[in-house]
Amino acid sequence: MLFRVARPALQRVATTSIRPAQSNNYATLREIEGRLKSIKNIEKITNTMKIVASTKLARAQRAMSESRTYGQTSNTVFDKAETKPLEGGKTLIIVSSSDKGLCGGIHSQITKAVRRKLLETPDADLVILGEKCKAQLSRSSAKNIVMSFANVGKDLPTFAEAQTIADQIFQLEKDYDNIEVVYNNFKSAISYEPGSAYAFSEETIKNSANFTAFEIEDEQLVNLREYALANTIFWALSEGHACEISARRNAMDNASKNAGDMINRFQILFNRTRQAVITGELVEIITGAAASEDS
Amino acid sequence: MVAAWKAAGLTYNKYLSIAARVVRRSLKEQPRLAAERRGDMQLKFAKWEGGKQGEVKSLAKEPAE
Repeated sequence: MLFRVARPALQRVATTSIRPAQSNNYATLREIEGRLKSIKNIEKITNTMKIVASTKLARAQRAMSESRTYGQTSNTVFDKAETKPLEGGKTLIIVSSSDKGLCGGIHSQITKAVRRKLLETPDADLVILGEKCKAQLSRSSAKNIVMSFANVGKDLPTFAEAQTIADQIFQLEKDYDNIEVVYNNFKSAISYEPGSAYAFSEETIKNSANFTAFEIEDEQLVNLREYALANTIFWALSEGHACEISARRNAMDNASKNAGDMINRFQILFNRTRQAVITGELVEIITGAAASEDS
Repeated sequence: MVAAWKAAGLTYNKYLSIAARVVRRSLKEQPRLAAERRGDMQLKFAKWEGGKQGEVKSLAKEPAE
């Protein structure tokens, strides 16, 4: 009877502070458990994606170095002839990106580079290969877009695809003086930079400094131009593909590491919270037992 | 002297791709399987007019003009 008078405040404080805190802690415990489970799932997924990307990377890099040989050989003609792009002619910018995300910032890099070029030549036409850059560029420069291609980047690019793209561009019947292909340059497994490759029109080729060094009939220039464009597109697609896979590998690697860190932190928090709940229950029991002893 | 394919309206790329397709189909069984993969085209394209996307067409079905 004494305890009921002497310790009402303490009891009240005890009940008000422990009972909501206890339910709080159980709810928090369940929340933490839920988060821990979902983060573990995410870590498994990102790890798998990283392994898949690593295996694809070897093939993509081999294909890229083969296509480099094509592109560089094709460009030897223009290097020897010292062809230069025409200043202020009708320009076409071909944007080489892809459809899939989760690969770091490579699509945004390309979009930024293209936007910078559009500042210099605001009435250039755009042909976009890939849904990602299409979505980004259609927000800012929809009026410049003439054609867009989808289903890019699913697998290694084939020369047949590059040829068909070049064909479609020529079927547009717009005579472009300069064609610039913007793609990601594969500098190393961790560094990619947007770069451009150029394809020239017959006029520009005829105006090259060293043109007289070559014996060529005018009607062959059309064929050379079409073939050179297909080569350049193929090179850009291959390098862009290799860059994308490498970027995805790095991004998934970072994501897995971050997920691993979060798992450790949450595991520790979970243990601490669980121990706090147990301690709280013990305190309650002991208080109750001590209180009933007194009576 | 204009080449026959040029007079028929083919571009150089189209001429090359048809020739490549013929060569691929004429290979023996083993190399043919490897080569057919190089002729795969999964692209789809759409023309844009005035900021609007037109309908989407598959590249493989494009006529040989």
